[in-house]
Amino acid sequence: MSVLLAKTFRSSTLKLALIWIGIFGAVVVALLGYIYLSTSSYVRRRADQTITAELTSLQKIYASAGRSGLVATIAQRSAEEGRVYLLADASFAPLAGNLEVWPSGLKGSDGWGNFDAREWRPSAGNRPLLRATFETLPDGSHLLVGKDIEDVDEFVKQIKTALALSILLIFVLAGVATFSVTRRTVGRIEAINATSRAIMQSGLGERIPLHGTRDEWDQLAANLNSMLERIEGLMGEVKQVTDNVAHDLRTPLARIRGRLEKAYHSRQDGDYGSSLIGDTLADLDGVLRMFSSLMRISQIETTDRTAAFRTVDLAEIAREVVELFDAAAEDKGSSLNIVAERRVLVTGDKDLLFDTVANLVDNAIKHGREAGHVTVEVAQNDGGAQISVADDGPGIPSDEHQHVFKRFYRLERNRLTPGNGLGLSLVGAVARLHGARIEMLDNAPGLNVRVWFPLPARSDFEPGKEKGRLEI
Amino acid sequence: MTAGRRRILVIEDDRETAEQLVDSLVTSGYEVDLAVDGNDGLRRGRSGEYAVMTIDRMLPGIDGVAIIQRLRQDGIVTPALIVSALGEIDDRVRGLRAGGDDYLVKPFAFAELLARIEALARRSDTVVKETVLRVGDLKLDLVSRTVTRNGREIELLPREFQVLEYLVRNEGRVVPRAMLLQDVWDLCFDPTTNIIDVYVGRVRRKVDGQQAYPLIHTVRGVGFSVRAPC
Repeated sequence: MSVLLAKTFRSSTLKLALIWIGIFGAVVVALLGYIYLSTSSYVRRRADQTITAELTSLQKIYASAGRSGLVATIAQRSAEEGRVYLLADASFAPLAGNLEVWPSGLKGSDGWGNFDAREWRPSAGNRPLLRATFETLPDGSHLLVGKDIEDVDEFVKQIKTALALSILLIFVLAGVATFSVTRRTVGRIEAINATSRAIMQSGLGERIPLHGTRDEWDQLAANLNSMLERIEGLMGEVKQVTDNVAHDLRTPLARIRGRLEKAYHSRQDGDYGSSLIGDTLADLDGVLRMFSSLMRISQIETTDRTAAFRTVDLAEIAREVVELFDAAAEDKGSSLNIVAERRVLVTGDKDLLFDTVANLVDNAIKHGREAGHVTVEVAQNDGGAQISVADDGPGIPSDEHQHVFKRFYRLERNRLTPGNGLGLSLVGAVARLHGARIEMLDNAPGLNVRVWFPLPARSDFEPGKEKGRLEI
Repeated sequence: MTAGRRRILVIEDDRETAEQLVDSLVTSGYEVDLAVDGNDGLRRGRSGEYAVMTIDRMLPGIDGVAIIQRLRQDGIVTPALIVSALGEIDDRVRGLRAGGDDYLVKPFAFAELLARIEALARRSDTVVKETVLRVGDLKLDLVSRTVTRNGREIELLPREFQVLEYLVRNEGRVVPRAMLLQDVWDLCFDPTTNIIDVYVGRVRRKVDGQQAYPLIHTVRGVGFSVRAPC
């Protein structure tokens, strides 16, 4: 756990988040500071305006009713809660009002001041803070008007506290959020790292644990896992292929060797020699064909040929294949039929699709029963195009379905029929290249292989770019 | 037929392959020049006196396809046959067929090499517009699309007729399976199945069945050949 903590602190996510917290924090502090300053100055200005208005009204009373009128008004208004009045003579000796002493700080020309009322009025109680101003009346006496600003001060203080608390809260929350997010990120990445290390050390069996949250981390982990799955599958296939190549190579090579040895020891020539050479050539051709098929499959699997894709008519291809294989079906006494729509367009490589359909039909005839029925169906529906090749032979047991696309995989009972177990591997590779899905269904009896091509058939097809034909 | 008609330029760096190539070409009546590297090949190729040139794909320092391109830039139109080692059939090589050149994958049967060289050499010959083709007692009427043997009509499907026509046009020469597939079906691949044999087998049953002598012969490991007995 402490390793995780250390990694959390080293994490680039954390560093980046801290930088942003700093930037956002500075902005928030500036904003809240501005709110504080403008609010407090606003409420203070309001208090001052009230005081100024009161002073002005008293000056008017003095102008109209003279000093005695003013004294009467002051006496009347002094009773009001929170108001402060004081009329003093030219030497600041109090004449009337609810202040006993002229505040010492309020004598200059700048006529505003705050002071604590308790200094000269013990009865001021718990709301002692006052703000006052004064004017010198025409007869030389001084009139002071003030106001209890305890609530204003309280208000400003509360704002200050609230803003300070919110800044603190923002920083704490941001800090906690950053830390937990970083730690979570580092934790998930660490899980991937740990799996990678385990794979490097012990093999491809490990998988990244999923959290079941279906979030982006789970998606990443799931994708990496399926990539590992594929790599593991390929590695397994490579091993199996190597074993099978060795086996399938040894058989014809052993035959060739035996034949040559026999020829070397016997003195015969003529017909025997030429049939030996013929058989040897045929065996060598078989080996070479096997290599060509292997290379072809690996080429399909490794090179991106989708750039050369054209819109091709699957129905037309199927019809040509069926016509081509009619003779082979006839040889076996089987019937080969096609049910196809007039045009079924897919986007793909004509040669590869032809070879694929040919392989499926070849398999159906070869592994179907004698005098059986093979049906090729090509149809288009809104989801895409599909071709299915069905026979009524012994079929393939469902637990073998997933294996038959592996290179050199052959059902036990087919070991003796000609073939190298590469046909369906080619079909699988071509299907994968075309984004097509292969289904193996039980035809009861027999096998129905269905290849499903999803839409869309590309429309940017250039008719002029077909392969040229040789003139003979 | 001009003097250059039977002259072949072989550009091949592997000595034994080159010897075998030259040998089999000379045996088939060609005059052969051998270039053992790309520069020599380019120099000789520029003379333009050849009917066909065969070029190894992987020459020291230069790609065979590049040689063809350079010669084409210089206005040399001699058809080329690229001989490529297995596994490097990329789109550039595949494209050769569309451009009038051809390719062959190593290892190959010499019969197939000869057939492809013949096809390339014939390319520029004037095509005689015959309406009837004959081999022995077989007669193909290209206008009515009918086949008769010894005066008796043989029923053929349209594609079977095309196959037979192609074989008969190449009378006496070996037609490799892949060439048949390429020129009759317009497909450029070596089938992983023996389907061409089965198909030609049926044509043969129709054409040669219950006749005085066979016309369609299988050339083991390569393809087919139509010839009448001497």
